[in-house]
This record gives sequence, structure tokens and C-alpha cells, in this order.
Amino acid sequence: MSLKKRLFMIFGPILTAAVLMLVVFLSPLWSRLSYVSPKVQRNAASSLSPLVLKGQLIKQRALENNYVPFFGSSEWSRFDPFHPAVLAAKYHRSYRPFLLGARGSQSLTNFFVMQSVSPQLKNKKAVVFVSPQWFTPMGEDPNAFTFYYSPLQTTTWLKQETGSKMDRYAAYRLLQMPSGDSDKIIAAALARIAAGLKPTKFQRNYINVRNRILANEDQIYSRYRIPLNNVKTIGKNMKKLPRHYHYRQLDELASQIGKQQTSSNDFEINNRFWNRRLKRHVKDLKNFQVGQSYVKSPEYGDFELLLNQFADDHTNVLFIIPPVNQKWQEYTGLSAAMLKQFDQKIKYQLRSQGFNHIDDLSKDGNVPYFMSDTIHPGWRGWLKMDQAINPFLTKKVSRPHYQIDKRFYSKRWQQYDY
Amino acid sequence: MRWFIPYGNPTYFIWLALAIIPLMIGLLYGRRFRGYQTIISLFFLILTFGGPNWKTGIALIGYFIYQIILVAGYSHYRQKKGSANQGWIFVMTVILAIVPLVIVKVTPAIEGGRQSIIGFLGISYITFKVVQTIMETRDGIIKEFHPILFGQFLLFFPTISSGPIDRYRRFETDYKKVPERAEYLDLIQTGVRYVFQGFVYKFIVAYYFGTVLMPGIERHALMAHGFSWNIIAYMYVYSMDLFFDFAGYSLFAVGISYLMGIKTPVNFNQPFKSKNIKDFWNRWHMTLSFWFRDYIFMRLVFFFMKHKVFKSRVTTANVCYVINMLIMGFWHGETWFYITYGLFHGCALVINDTWLRFKKKHQDVIPHNKLTELFAIFLTFNVVCFSFLIFSGFLNTLFFGPNKF
Repeated sequence: MSLKKRLFMIFGPILTAAVLMLVVFLSPLWSRLSYVSPKVQRNAASSLSPLVLKGQLIKQRALENNYVPFFGSSEWSRFDPFHPAVLAAKYHRSYRPFLLGARGSQSLTNFFVMQSVSPQLKNKKAVVFVSPQWFTPMGEDPNAFTFYYSPLQTTTWLKQETGSKMDRYAAYRLLQMPSGDSDKIIAAALARIAAGLKPTKFQRNYINVRNRILANEDQIYSRYRIPLNNVKTIGKNMKKLPRHYHYRQLDELASQIGKQQTSSNDFEINNRFWNRRLKRHVKDLKNFQVGQSYVKSPEYGDFELLLNQFADDHTNVLFIIPPVNQKWQEYTGLSAAMLKQFDQKIKYQLRSQGFNHIDDLSKDGNVPYFMSDTIHPGWRGWLKMDQAINPFLTKKVSRPHYQIDKRFYSKRWQQYDY
Repeated sequence: MRWFIPYGNPTYFIWLALAIIPLMIGLLYGRRFRGYQTIISLFFLILTFGGPNWKTGIALIGYFIYQIILVAGYSHYRQKKGSANQGWIFVMTVILAIVPLVIVKVTPAIEGGRQSIIGFLGISYITFKVVQTIMETRDGIIKEFHPILFGQFLLFFPTISSGPIDRYRRFETDYKKVPERAEYLDLIQTGVRYVFQGFVYKFIVAYYFGTVLMPGIERHALMAHGFSWNIIAYMYVYSMDLFFDFAGYSLFAVGISYLMGIKTPVNFNQPFKSKNIKDFWNRWHMTLSFWFRDYIFMRLVFFFMKHKVFKSRVTTANVCYVINMLIMGFWHGETWFYITYGLFHGCALVINDTWLRFKKKHQDVIPHNKLTELFAIFLTFNVVCFSFLIFSGFLNTLFFGPNKF
């Protein structure tokens, strides 16, 4: 056998495989393969899986159906019979929540999640759960951001960016995170955008190729490995609800269940959370939140990114502002005045730009069985929220008129002592 | 510039392919570009020991110079005409050779987990090579000392971080010559196959066991606070991850060596097919267990026999098994679970030998057929997996770890 032939026998298969791989992952044909079964959509909507959050295809298909995006963070994982996903399924509402967010996913993560479904948000409705705890002095935790970082969403956004204030600010923030620096070419493009320049032609081509590969990957694999235990949890919780929806009756049931499940402590915190997470440490936690503030935070700038994107998409949004468990707040020394200040500041940022659908629950921290644990709503809290969510999503709501004010991106606003 | 754990990610392999192509062309045409090989070796050493790891790079350089001087000194002493070949000088040299490794291994145990500043990735594997060279110099098998060749041997980059552990004379022969074209083509073919088999092992199978399955099982086992079936699941999943990860890595190291025309010995030979524990150690991490066999076990046996410490040969062998495996346990690290792991395997080898002797004596009554062989494989596999559960340190986290809330 000649040398050439022998070498070809050895390396031929590798080259063929490489070419085949390029063809597969660069092929535009995959985008045709966009069917997602209703079952996968349903599983994904409540999975709270980072894979779903970071992906694109499933969310797009689901939001084209009757799913409404519920942006937020850890609160969605507190399933009980009054959780929005349970109520919507039990009472055959015309909408189903697509829960987006998990522990540590804050405004910036949600902004990039929105990039993957921007066409599906156009002139539609959405719900945003605004946690006061996002607005810490340091803002988004880089490690948490890295955990939810999706190069697919980043490149999708980069393909559409126009150099607006929003794009420049997003680029600037992304560069402050380790994820923004993980790909050198993209980092260079981000630096140009943040500085108000257009990415170079090479950078644009690179972004397009990267996006194509990542989108194909998403198209091929994202339907698989979706955890479905939350679907089962929702099913179990549905069984605990009466057949017909009567607010009074449900509210009583919520109190009843809440009472049963908070028997272990005086803070009205659910037993599971109490026994697992707090019981052993409760002594050390006395007054541990003294001096904590949610009033000055870079998060206000990140939050403006969300608002800006909603305004661009003309999305009608309901914002929910939750309270803090008052007993816990008092025990840990978290300032009530500061919480009020936060509430006013965030509402000003919303109202002054035309975001008028706000379900402000911040004063309900002392309502019995309103909170499931220290900061997450449960039983009666969920039910109260439903009084705003249900009409907002099922009835006709007037077209929003948003006027984005760039000053909300400024450091001055972020650090403003409202 | 980015910094890499050897064979850790695809980019490393791209660098690797680009760097060795010129070398391969040279070898195909009967030349070994030794200067070029040295340059790319340095490049890959910098990829691993440079940048944020520069402190370990300094440690490596210091260690390297120290060992070269040590071996040079001993070779000079030993290769003199009419060398006295004193035992204590040899012992001193070996002790000096392993002192840095001992410091690195003991530091975390007494400093609460802090790593020693003289440590670096792969220090044990280089130490094995040094000790082996000193021993063979004492035996007079290595007759000449070439500092450059010896340096190439110690720092051979494909195997630097975790072996396989080559032998000096074997390496020297390969390094000095250029393989015939037909032979080299066979090496390329095998090398490429090894690298791709490594991809399957490390990036698919080990990923599945270690990254997909393991964390969930681990969490469940920890949440159970005590015994649960999850521990058993963890045992098998950990064993699979350990094997496929390490075997995959070893395949890369051997495959790349082959492409460079160096026949680094293989490290694994289907270990889960072993019929008994002895068989297992002839198939699992082979270069390590052969090193222990040749330079610890055999020498201990020889020493005990010469000084007639034990009357029976059986006792001698048994004692040597246990000491041998205990030392291996201590080598892994100074924690109770590594040492228990060593002791466990030492005892397993003793039991195994006893059984084999018993079986030989009663050949007529003890059946031996396909079914008993299958049972033997099953039993050995489970004994091995259990030893890996000890080795994993998971029981330590489970029993003595901080309470998770």
C-alpha cells in the first residue's frame, strides 16, 4: 500500500467526520424541524430547568400557543395548590404560565432570556415577579449569571442589536461578567458595542456562524432531558383544590393548609423549609439583616434593560412586587422603612415610563399564611396574586404606551436614595 | 493565551494536532526533529504550568533541577570504576528523591487541606521515574547518565500529568531511533485509534457517569443521612467514572506518544474482566502496579528472603502484599480512606492467594467452568467497586462531613 493510501485510510474517516459535523451543525435545514409536542411544552413550562431557560426552541413554540411567560427567580419553585401554574391548570384558564427563572436568575439573566423569545413577545402579555432581594448593593452575582448564561441568547441578541442605549448598556454589563469574556471574539464585539461602535465585519460573520451552530444544537437536542417532576407536583396539588373557583372558599382552604404546614415554628414558615434550612441556624440569624438595603443597586440598571425590551416589543406586562414575611423581617432586623423606600423607587421607575400594571403586595407581609417561607409567597399569597393575574391575562387590556427614559440606566439612578 | 489541563478540552487537542504534524512528517521521512520536539514540549508544559499556575511551574523547575543533580550525583558515584556501591548511599539517594513527594503528600494532612507550595500537577509520576532510574543505576542496568536524555524522559509532556509511567531504558531506545516507516504507520494507526477511543471514554462515557448521573445520586445519598441504596448506586457510578475518565486520559497519553514515535506502555487492559484481584492489578493502572511490583514488592520479598525474616515463603509474600498496597495507599494521600483502600487491597491479595492455593490443592472437588469464571468476574468486580467507594472519600463526606442544610 502506498504511503498516501495508508495515510488516507487512517485520517480519511476523521476528515469525513469533521466535514460531516460541519455540514450537520451549519445546515440551515434544521430550522424546519421546529415541531415541539404539546407534552414537551407542558413539561418544559414548569420544569424550571436551566436547560429550558438557556434554550430557545421550546419557549418559542410554547409562547406561540397559550403559554404566557412568567419571568422571575426562585419563587416559582414553591409549588402548592395555589401556585399560578396549578390554578391555571385546575380551572381551565385560557392561559398557562411558562415559568422562567430559578434561584439567582435576576434582571440581567431575564433580559437575555427575553432575547430568545423576542418575536413571541411582540404585542403579547407577560408577568414579571420582581424580587426586592435582587436589588442588593452588588447586584447580579457573577457566578449565578454564569450558571444561566446562554451563548445562544447572547448571539441572537448580537445579531439584532442596533447600537441603542439598551444594547450598549447590555454589552457593558455583560463585559462585567466572566461569561462575557469567555469567548474572545464576542468579548471584542461587546467592547465595540459598549463604546458605541458597530462590530467589525469579521465579528459579525463569526457571530452569525456561532449563532447558527448554537441554534442548530438547540433545534436538535433541546426537546430531550426535560425534567418532569414538577408536572407531577402540579397534578398532585390540583387534586387538593375544589372543583369550582370561589375566592372565599379557596382563601379559607389556603389558610387551613397554611396552618397545617407551618406548625413547627412561630414565623409561619413552612415546616419543610424550617426544618431543613433554618431550625439549626435560627439563633445566628437574629438581626443578621440589620443595615441591609435594596435601595442602591446596579440591579436598577439591569431592570431597565427588561423594561426597555418590553417597550420595544410592545409587551403588556403585569409586575408583581411581593412582601417579605413580616415576622421574619422583624426578627432578622430588616428595615421596614427601607423596604417601603424600595417599593416606591421601583414603582416610580415603572409608572413614570408607562408600566402601569403593578400588583403591589408589599404591605401584605403580615397577612397570615401569605408567605410560604421568609421571602417567597405561598398559599394565600399566591391566591391574592391570582386576583391580579387572572383578569390581566384573560380580559382585554388596553394597549400600553411606554416612554423609555434613558436616565434610568444611569449610576445616579442606581445609587439614588429615593 | 489560555491555560490548560492536559487533554482537558477540544482546544488543547487542536494545539496538539498542529504541533505534532511537523514531527510526524519528519518521522515518516526517517527523521526525528529532536530540537523541534523539545520546543513543543516546552510549549505544552507552559500551557499547563504557566499563567495562573506559574507557581507550580516554578515548583516544577526547582524539582526538576534537584532531581537531575541527585541522579547525576548518584550515577557519578555508581558508574565510577570500582564503585563501592554502598547500600546506605543508595538508600539515602532514594530517600532524597522521594522527600519532595512526601512533603507534598503530607502537607494537606497536617495543614488542614492546604496544598504544599513545592507541589505541581504530576509530581508523583515524575518521582516514580526518578526512583526507578536510581534503582536501575544501583543494579548496574543503567550504565550511562545522559542529563539531556534523562530530562526528556522526565518531562515527556504527553505523560507528564498522570502517566503512564514509562521506564528509562525503554524510553531511551525509542527516543534515540526513528521507527521504520511501516512500523511508524502502524503506530500512527493505533495512536489515532487510541485518541478517539479516549474521546469516547472521557468525553462521552465518563461525562455521562460523572457529570450527568453522579451529582444527583450524591445529593440523594447525602440527604438520606446514613445508609441508603443511593450509596450503592454511587459506588457503581463512581467506579465507572473513575475508570472511563482515567482510561480515557491514559489512551490520550499513549496515543499521542505513539504519534511521536514513542511506545509509552498502556495503562489499562479491560480491568473489569478480571477473574481475581491479582488479575485485576495486572489490568488496572498497569504501569503503576508494575512499578510497585518491580520496585517495592519484589525488592521487599528479596530483602526478607535474604535476611530470612520469615520462615515460610507464603508469609513473606503475604506480608509483602500488605506492605506494598499500604504504601500505594499512603502514596494516594494521607487520609484514612486512601490508607484503608490500600489495606483493603493488600488483604484482598492475601485472601486471593490463599484461595488459589486451596483451590489448587483440592482441584478434584472444586469445580472450574464457565459459570464459576463468570461468578469470579462478578465477585471481583464488586470487590473492586467497593474498594473504589472507600477510595472516593464519599464515605468520609457522608459520615464525617459538615452537616448540610
